[in-house]
Amino acid sequence: MDDEEDLSNPKKISNEDSISQKHSAMIERLTNLHQSRLQQQEISRKSDSNLSPSFESTKSFLDRFSSLKQAIETELDRCRNISDRESKSILIKSDLEKISLSISNLEKLVAENSYFLPNYEVRSSLKTISDLKEKLELVNSELLPKKKFAFKSKSSKTKEQNNVVVVNENVIKENDVDSNVKVRDSPGFRDKEGVVLIKHFGDLEEGEFTLENLNSCEIRLIGRLRAIFVHKLKNCRVFVGPIMGSVLIEQVEDCLFMLASHQIRIHHAKKTDFYLRVRSRPIIEDSNGVRFAPYLLVYDGIESDLKECSLYEDTGNWGNVDDFRWLRAVQSPNWSILPEGERSGTVYISKSETSSENS
Amino acid sequence: MGLLSIIRKIKKKEKEMRILMVGLDNSGKTTIVLRINGEDTSVISPTLGFNIRTINYQKYTLNIWDVGGQKTIRSYWRNYFEETDGLVWVVDSSDIRRLDDCKMELNNLLKEERLSGASLLVLANKQDIQGALKPAEIAKVLNLDAMDKTRHWKIVGCSAYTGEGLVDGFDWLVQDIASRIYVLD
Ligand SMILES: Nc1nc2c(ncn2[C@@H]2O[C@H](COP(=O)(O)OP(=O)(O)OP(=O)(O)O)[C@@H](O)[C@H]2O)c(=O)[nH]1
Ligand SMILES: [Mg+2]
Repeated sequence: MDDEEDLSNPKKISNEDSISQKHSAMIERLTNLHQSRLQQQEISRKSDSNLSPSFESTKSFLDRFSSLKQAIETELDRCRNISDRESKSILIKSDLEKISLSISNLEKLVAENSYFLPNYEVRSSLKTISDLKEKLELVNSELLPKKKFAFKSKSSKTKEQNNVVVVNENVIKENDVDSNVKVRDSPGFRDKEGVVLIKHFGDLEEGEFTLENLNSCEIRLIGRLRAIFVHKLKNCRVFVGPIMGSVLIEQVEDCLFMLASHQIRIHHAKKTDFYLRVRSRPIIEDSNGVRFAPYLLVYDGIESDLKECSLYEDTGNWGNVDDFRWLRAVQSPNWSILPEGERSGTVYISKSETSSENS
Repeated sequence: MGLLSIIRKIKKKEKEMRILMVGLDNSGKTTIVLRINGEDTSVISPTLGFNIRTINYQKYTLNIWDVGGQKTIRSYWRNYFEETDGLVWVVDSSDIRRLDDCKMELNNLLKEERLSGASLLVLANKQDIQGALKPAEIAKVLNLDAMDKTRHWKIVGCSAYTGEGLVDGFDWLVQDIASRIYVLD
């Protein structure tokens, strides 16, 4: 792209208006370019999945990204080192604006390529951009301490803003007490210990379910569901039929889950085994000691339930886990594949049993 | 002339609007964007970074930024605040337990000076789920009425599954932004 020429070789321009014109022409070009790229991608993209089209290259992205990043850093250093007072006020302001634009530009580059890039590349690029913005902000405040400079990432700025914030908070808190909203609970099993809990789901009308605050229980949810929420489970075994939508699991420890679902998000899980069939990539956050294996649940009629939920085929994604806290290319230490020798056998559950306790 | 006013001028010419979609993870942001854009929604992974879609809507071009809502990446949201014309806050109306989180994150967002001029559309998503809270209930829990009086906002119930409510919501958003930015034509 030749658009960067403008950014990395700033020419001396003496008045702000001509800079403005240049900027505006440049933004226009960039916008157009951005637009046409997006259209290109729209054509080449098949779905939101992580299948990378073979003609896209991570390496060429990385080369381009790092050279742009270098250019921005060089510019930042140059601005920092200008000593002449006179030029400071005029030149630097416009230079910083240019740098800011280059950073947004870099951001667009990541955005446009993020669909084929490996996850850790996306995240580390985002981090780099975030760092660059902070650096720019720093240079900005060093060089132009008094000047109000309306733009990019004010992130960790001024105290004045914070004062306003405090006022807002007070207002909101008062109102909280006034309205004191009570909301109903969604259907679910809650607050139980040492029991077997069974529920059958017929049609999807009622298929959203919560498991919360359970200790040493066995839970069986049979039939098709839309979504489940799991919160605070300890030492439980959980067997669930196919789920059309998503599973959200938070704060579980020493548990075993067998789940088939379109999406699975796992937060704050410890020492827990997951037997999954999942259409997209399972994700973990703030978890450790979690292990993954394929789904092994069987009950009468599960095949047709799986088919109806588009979960009949195993995509193999049960093992393609993304750890959102892990930024590096090497395997996250927080999860592993459950070794075959340690896996459970196929689990058969009967449709006729009922809970050991009425719930 | 500052950078922002230049950008505004160009936008005005191209009738372009920048829309930022945020909300907790699992609320349905990506599904909504793909649904609006007529794309396949059968396999969607939790969003690790962000997606951008450029959508022609009426006579406007919407640049929609869909940013992941997992806790780890919420700190990146602020990278996308600049130049935002419309903010779409997506709520999973069936995730009752996390409404507190949802409220807290929204309040944080609304404190942002850089978003102070943005119109706010709250989408109470997943209305197709039986136990889902109605938009009025969500508004109450999120205490939307206590919002700064200068903010233009609206809450709309919707379902990314059935498509219900999406057009209503975006119609309002686009009209509201247009009436602020393009008053002169
Ligand atoms: N029942 C129902 N499920 C929905 C609806 N919208 C989205 N979902 C489901 O909710 C889950 C989450 O959807 P996503 O679009 O990935 O959510 P997101 O907000 O982009 O999540 P992050 O990328 O993690 O921030 C998926 O399983 C969707 O199928 C809806 O209107 N109704
Ligand atoms: Mg998403």
